[in-house]
Amino acid sequence: MEWFNWLVPWEESILVVAATGSAALFFLRGCAVTRPPLHRRLCFWGGLSLVYLVSHTQLDYYSEHQFFIHRLQHLALHHLGPFLIVLSRPCPVLLAGMPSSMRQAFHLMTEWKPVQYLARALCNPVVAVALFSLLIGFWLLPPIHFTAMIDWRLYRVMNWSMFLSGLIFWGLVLTPGPVFTVRLSPGSRIGMMLAIIPPQIVIGALIFFTSRELYPIYTICGRAIGGIDALADQQIGGIILWIHGAMMSAIGILVVILRELMLAEYPEHGRKAA
Amino acid sequence: MNKNFGGGRNFSHRRFAAGLVTAGLAAVLVMSACDSTEQGHAKEVTGHLPDLSFSLTSDQGQPVTARTYKGKVLLLYFGFTHCREECPISMARLARVMHLLGEDAERAHILFVTVDPERDVPGELRRYLMQFDIGQATGLTGNPDEIGQLARRYRNAFRLHFPPGGDSDIMHGDVIYIFDTQGRARLLATSADPEEILVQDLRDLLPV
Repeated sequence: MEWFNWLVPWEESILVVAATGSAALFFLRGCAVTRPPLHRRLCFWGGLSLVYLVSHTQLDYYSEHQFFIHRLQHLALHHLGPFLIVLSRPCPVLLAGMPSSMRQAFHLMTEWKPVQYLARALCNPVVAVALFSLLIGFWLLPPIHFTAMIDWRLYRVMNWSMFLSGLIFWGLVLTPGPVFTVRLSPGSRIGMMLAIIPPQIVIGALIFFTSRELYPIYTICGRAIGGIDALADQQIGGIILWIHGAMMSAIGILVVILRELMLAEYPEHGRKAA
Repeated sequence: MNKNFGGGRNFSHRRFAAGLVTAGLAAVLVMSACDSTEQGHAKEVTGHLPDLSFSLTSDQGQPVTARTYKGKVLLLYFGFTHCREECPISMARLARVMHLLGEDAERAHILFVTVDPERDVPGELRRYLMQFDIGQATGLTGNPDEIGQLARRYRNAFRLHFPPGGDSDIMHGDVIYIFDTQGRARLLATSADPEEILVQDLRDLLPV
């Protein structure tokens, strides 16, 4: 039962359990009604379990105590997890799986003016790009990072903000149809994915090329993995940020181009596959 | 069908915005990298770490809690007596800090919490601390779960049930958690902080 120990949460969070639990339940129920294709279901479960595993198991201990694993955690929370979830087009399935009263409440909420304004503001391409990039930079500012790693409340705010901004950004660029009345051309969506590359390269390179310890918190509280010194840990973390940003954008751009080509070649079949 | 791959004017707007964002981020990062105004003072953590709370066994074999030490500035350290690297150095530094505090040392107390409770029984802890000749120090031990919880509460890289292998090499952070007389976490001191400045920081926490 050694592996079971790994699934025990390092720090329990009711919010994480409730959010992933209800998403999983609604999706399961929704699948019975809408019957999405297998690849969509695989994407959803892959994304959801990835997000759960990095935030609510013993892996969280390593993320708290090793800078490069913290970067990997954010790669999962900000990029890969939301990317896969969005790719599965979960909204109709989740809505179909909700109890009807909840669905009504959801529809009422989306008709409420302040919610609409907020959604429209967040779905603005410039805002989404800025939010996505600035959040990475903000949490990596040395004094902010120190406090976020020491204060469990801020630590959770950091992880949630990363996940939600990832969901908004990838939701906007990977969804072909309108998102909250915002309809973006494929060109704009590709432009957005290109726009998030330079900030990540700059921040990653700055961290990589800094020759002094930017994040002493890991030395102070102790590193989870012995044998890796502070600068090596920092450099691996910098490289992860530097390279994966471009990588995820490249995959996203390919997805958009592929969909457009399929729509152009086979309008009927393409619409279904897209 | 709208095939706007180039994006036209919108696209250049976006690139411009992205450029701005990049430049802003770079500036902020560079500025914060230059801003090292700490100058050896212990890190301020007031309000970010929880108040001291524990229920363990002292090196005299008595059950003790955080209340036992109320009214004193507390210096909490996680370590173990077989440690050959950080622990002896840190304890020697703390002995010097207590010496420099002079009379004020009466109002401060060091708590050495073992992360190796199997071997560090109360008598062993007592003998270990005697070597450093500190009057105001108590070794604390207890059941492994309680110690694990306390370490996790203060984000110390010590994890129960997952030994990294090699019994002389238990993973733990090298940090002194400093609590004020009310048991509130106030400062984090590391081996990089000079003892003289640490003494100043401790005096600032003592009520006049």
